[in-house]
Amino acid sequence: MTDTSGGDVRLTGISKTYGSFTAVHPLELTVPQGSFFALLGASGCGKTTTLRMIAGLEDPTTGTVFLGDKDVTDLPPYKRPVNTVFQSYALFPHLNVTENIAFGLRRRGIKSVKKQVDDMLELVQLGDFAHRKPHQLSGGQQQRVAVARALINHPQVLLLDEPLGALDLKLRRQMQLELKRIQTEVGITFIHVTHDQEEAMTMADTVAVMNGGRVEQLGAPADLYENPNTTFVANFLGTSNLIEAEVLEAGSDITVTASGAKLHLPAGRCSTSTPTRSGGKLLVGVRPEKISLAHADDAAKIPEGRNRITGRIADSSFIGVSTQYVIDSPVCPELEVYAQNIERDARLVPGAEVVLHWNPEHTFGLDAAQSMLAGTVGSAGTEEAA
Amino acid sequence: MTTLAETPPAAELPLRKPLLRRKLVPYWLLLPGIIWLLIFFALPMVYQASTSVQTGSLEKGFQVTWHFQTYWDAFKEYYPQFIRSLLYAGTATVLCLILGYPLAYLIAFKAGRWRNVVLILVIAPFFTSFLIRTLAWKTILADGGPVVHVLNTLHVLDVTSWLGWTEGSRVLATPMAVVCGLTYNFLPFMILPLYTSLERIDGRLHEAAGDLYATPATTFRKVTFPLSMPGVVSGTLLTFIPASGDYVNAELLGSTDQKMVGNVIQSQFLRVLDYPTAAALSFILMAIVLVMVTVYIRRAGTEDLV
Repeated sequence: MTDTSGGDVRLTGISKTYGSFTAVHPLELTVPQGSFFALLGASGCGKTTTLRMIAGLEDPTTGTVFLGDKDVTDLPPYKRPVNTVFQSYALFPHLNVTENIAFGLRRRGIKSVKKQVDDMLELVQLGDFAHRKPHQLSGGQQQRVAVARALINHPQVLLLDEPLGALDLKLRRQMQLELKRIQTEVGITFIHVTHDQEEAMTMADTVAVMNGGRVEQLGAPADLYENPNTTFVANFLGTSNLIEAEVLEAGSDITVTASGAKLHLPAGRCSTSTPTRSGGKLLVGVRPEKISLAHADDAAKIPEGRNRITGRIADSSFIGVSTQYVIDSPVCPELEVYAQNIERDARLVPGAEVVLHWNPEHTFGLDAAQSMLAGTVGSAGTEEAA
Repeated sequence: MTTLAETPPAAELPLRKPLLRRKLVPYWLLLPGIIWLLIFFALPMVYQASTSVQTGSLEKGFQVTWHFQTYWDAFKEYYPQFIRSLLYAGTATVLCLILGYPLAYLIAFKAGRWRNVVLILVIAPFFTSFLIRTLAWKTILADGGPVVHVLNTLHVLDVTSWLGWTEGSRVLATPMAVVCGLTYNFLPFMILPLYTSLERIDGRLHEAAGDLYATPATTFRKVTFPLSMPGVVSGTLLTFIPASGDYVNAELLGSTDQKMVGNVIQSQFLRVLDYPTAAALSFILMAIVLVMVTVYIRRAGTEDLV
């Protein structure tokens, strides 16, 4: 079924409304053939609905779904060259592993399935379990059967609906790498729905961050992480320190002031809607791992040309590879700093006066006209409907 | 400093014995049911078994003489009624399945918020006595009644009469009337287990089948129906077993030509007062049903009945 040319998935103006609730706002999305694409967002953001519309399990209210050049919007699921790995797997409990995997082939009238099933069992490393029933398998094994059952059909697109959600952390990490390996091996387009930002970034070439039924930003994981366009993306993908500031000097290097502290940031790292003329308000963002901590006594040793903020350590937690500090500063009430545990300064304990400093290149700018809390845990922004 | 105290080797730790009282709990829970079954099932069975091998008469009293000939004689004389019973019960079971499956499917998957209402409607007939409901069918199927009139006008009765299910322009006192009565009376016993096993099927399995190129019809054949087998098996058993021993429907809706084995047993016990024959007939019926059910369950290959 794999088509080598023009196998992109294209959604044009696709939307879904349930009564007065809009699950997905009109959406334009192109997933290039052979890519590993992730739809990332909190629960209720419309990512699963979008996936189900591609699978044909949900009828879009408006818009068209193209697979390659073919309009499949009105095709029932069983006529679409796509297969889904369901959340909780939906394996057929009355069939053994072999028959589960062979299900799709048999429905298409293929009689001799043994060779293909064996190959697939090998790919997912389940050769010894061919005759087990699903309930005799562990969660990870069931998950692999679900992947094999979908992949054996060589679909044009493989849809994965939070397939790792039910697994424990260690197994999840292992399956992430395994899925990535399989995707590279078979070269099929994978569209992966997840609420786990780390999972999306680990596995996907391209991530679309969804919020309230809209795609907030789309790009390569590193791009999204380094250059978020909205506070939602900045907060949902990792952690961001956001500081309200006013532009002092515009130019290719913008100087801003925030509660007396002067900070610099490159104009190229400001999102398009950010006002960069002088007097404009913006949000200055910096990732916690980009910031270095120095004890106030060592302030003089900090090299010139770095952004610096003073504060006091409010809390610190040791988590092995790093130590996470919460800093109280007049500029921003709760700044987060992640310091690698390479050389630990014994003076950096709660209560200590410190200077935070970082390379201005690592600073990004966002429009101040949006909620600073969007995308943080428990914020209303993640569940926003309208 | 927090320290870990060294644990003594396992062998020195005294093993805690589970309390005897706790071990006895399952038996206490079984007791009421066991006593009930003993008094009202096991003892009467033994009594009937002994009756079936007795000889004598009402005047002189009955004696256990191990007269197994009664079984053979009873079977030889009444085998047409046995065959008829199994045929009627079997037909009624098939009809119940044909009528009940779509309804159970509807309740399980399509009824939405009407689910409970429809379920109550299924059980509603139980609010009236079995006897009254069957008597009502006598009125419904009465000669010259609207049902017979419609069937006659549509020439349905010509076909059924040709098949031997009805006679002329009558429905009452024909095999069709008895089978209809049986079907009606046992339909809920088919629907409820079917519904229970259909309702337990994860709706995502239907989606998964569709996603894997199965048309809705194939999805039903390969996923839904196999997964509902426990319901099909228990539903057919709950219909077939009581229907094969039923006598009320044949008594009220049939004539002497539609007598089932239940009617024979009833009249042997209560009218002819030939207790050994009646008891032997009961045991023969039980044996036939047991054998059929065992073969059926083996063939259906169901491990767990709902």
